[in-house]
Amino acid sequence: MKRSLRGFVKSQNLTLAIIILVGAVLLGVQSGGGFLSPISRTTFFTFLAVPILIGLAQMITLAVGQLNLAVGSIGGFAACFAGVAISSFGAPPWVGALSTLVVGALVGLLNGWLIVVTRINGFIVTLATMTIFAGLQYALVSTRTISSTQWPEIYALGKSAVLGIPTIFWIALIVAGLVAFYFTHMIGGRRLLASGDNDHAALLAGISNDRSVVVAHTLSGLLCGVAAFVTLASLSGVNQSIGGDWLLPSFAAPIIGGVSLTGGSVAILGTVFAATIVRLVDSARAIFQLDPAWVNFVVGAVVLGSVALGRARQVRDARRAGAARAKATPAAATPAAVALGPEASTGATLTVESATTRGTK
Amino acid sequence: MSAAAEPAREAGGRAFVRFLATSRFFLLVIIVILVTVFGAAKPAFFNGPFVIAPLLTSISIYTVVGLSQMVVPPVGHMNLAVGQMASFGAIFMGMSYQLWHAPLILGLLIGLVAGAAIGTLTGWLIARTGVNSFIVTLAMSFALIGLVPTMYSWLSTSAAFTVKPAGLDVIGQASFANLCIGSTCGTNAVPLIVLPVIVTMLLIGYLYSRTRFGRELLVTGSNIHAAELSGIPTGRRIIFVHALSGALAALAGFLLAASIGSFTPTIGGEFMLQSFVGPILGGTLLAGGYVSVTGTLLGITLMLLIRKGLELFGLGIETLNVLLGLILLIALSADRIRNIRRRRKVVAPVVSEDAVAEEVSA
Repeated sequence: MKRSLRGFVKSQNLTLAIIILVGAVLLGVQSGGGFLSPISRTTFFTFLAVPILIGLAQMITLAVGQLNLAVGSIGGFAACFAGVAISSFGAPPWVGALSTLVVGALVGLLNGWLIVVTRINGFIVTLATMTIFAGLQYALVSTRTISSTQWPEIYALGKSAVLGIPTIFWIALIVAGLVAFYFTHMIGGRRLLASGDNDHAALLAGISNDRSVVVAHTLSGLLCGVAAFVTLASLSGVNQSIGGDWLLPSFAAPIIGGVSLTGGSVAILGTVFAATIVRLVDSARAIFQLDPAWVNFVVGAVVLGSVALGRARQVRDARRAGAARAKATPAAATPAAVALGPEASTGATLTVESATTRGTK
Repeated sequence: MSAAAEPAREAGGRAFVRFLATSRFFLLVIIVILVTVFGAAKPAFFNGPFVIAPLLTSISIYTVVGLSQMVVPPVGHMNLAVGQMASFGAIFMGMSYQLWHAPLILGLLIGLVAGAAIGTLTGWLIARTGVNSFIVTLAMSFALIGLVPTMYSWLSTSAAFTVKPAGLDVIGQASFANLCIGSTCGTNAVPLIVLPVIVTMLLIGYLYSRTRFGRELLVTGSNIHAAELSGIPTGRRIIFVHALSGALAALAGFLLAASIGSFTPTIGGEFMLQSFVGPILGGTLLAGGYVSVTGTLLGITLMLLIRKGLELFGLGIETLNVLLGLILLIALSADRIRNIRRRRKVVAPVVSEDAVAEEVSA
């Protein structure tokens, strides 16, 4: 993955960055500078950490061609588990708060394991675990709110800032950096992408697709756990509503950020930028005092548009790449197909249709 | 005993034996056991107007929700926006009653058309872009989650449409006790809402089991490549299925609104999980190629029976969530194991076609 300047300009990221700048300037002007004040800036970045983390959590499952509907209930359950562990069982705040990571990763592991063992569609498995863990979250805390005064150290971390930017936002950025490093420079990450791009080819190359699914879901759960940790640090308490509204932002960030929905690609910078844009829309709602449903509508419509446009772009790129390849080696394509025998040629005819059939799998 | 009757009876017997091996029979047994247990433990369970009638009302409504999902997997897709399509259809019905003073049937039709239209758009996006149906329907649900409450707050004063046209209460709240022939009236334990639902079930069952069109839908789901090679316009079939799903969702929204008495933005909020539980428990294959209308009804009945039981025994809603999730996983795992075992038993490739043809049942 070359991050050359040209690639940046051509990619969606430049568009997203421009939207962020224009949006921030507009909001700044519209609010008479209030939006750019230190307090408002701190709030903005504090509540940007969770969208980035859950966007990345969703992105990792999308990378292997899966999806994770349980993002919100893993995060909510982990946060409430930590809250109960600290307040009712006297766990030291740091131990309790960091247990979110373990809980998140374990639930993610459970998701991946269930998908691989039962061969049930990952969507249904995560729908089921979403329901189960939302129920367990409610069973843990029922209607009460556990106040963050129980974990003052963690809450202080949430209030602290480094270089004028909240620490928890730095945490989110560091996690994003680690995820980027994992997918660009580590064998594990490359394997996930290989499985997501073409599971058959990955299998022939000696990669276990099952392991990729399990690893992706575990990492996704782990990131939900980090999001739960950030929630503990930034909110004044945890209750059964935590995580209830994470589903839309978790999909919005990677989809708007340009992640291919058929698997095999990641866009960390795009996901971070897209999460920022969603956050800007939310801030705009607060400044203009609009109905919260309005944000959902805008974000949902943009997601729907990106889905359609992203696919159109993919088809166009594939066509261009095909044309370029045909120009470079005009004779190479046909003998290869013949040499591989009848199976390969049916494969070739099938790929023509993959544009329509892929969605149905 | 004539020679002609013998094979017929044998065939009937075999069909019965086959029924015993289906998940539908299994569901029926569990339902009977649960009803007996609930009835024995709490005699109040058999209270006609206060327990049975509300239970039947919700079974009716959620069966339509289940059908709205069930019609989609045959082509190998899913609809995550069932609830939002229901709310989208319902807002048009509410609008036509409150703002345009439409009669009952006209408003219902407007809502059904709205639901079908949003379904058509969804199906078109899927067929046209080739993006996974999860993602498109999920994105659609996100857009509608925002749009519908916004429309309610623009168009109505109290974020709900409360004008009821003549006849809405009859569908939503009346029971057979209100239906009299001479001096004999029906029982008050069965609400009238079951009638439109039975009609809908029959229509959907007829579509999938008796018509060429329905068979084409099933073929599209079991093997889209083969379907295309046999000349089935798969793109159009996919769009149709999503339109049908949208219309059924709108119908479910209408029935729910009729039973609660007003059109509100919360309609459809709880439909998604429910819509999957019914068809999956009933044995509808998520991979496509097989549906079961009675299975969906039984799946929904079991789910709502469990909910009622939890209520009777004073257990909270969170237990229901945990149970539903577990049931979903167990049902699907069991299905998977049965499939694997069957595939191991018969390796012949022909069997899959036979199985599809045989298993299609209404």
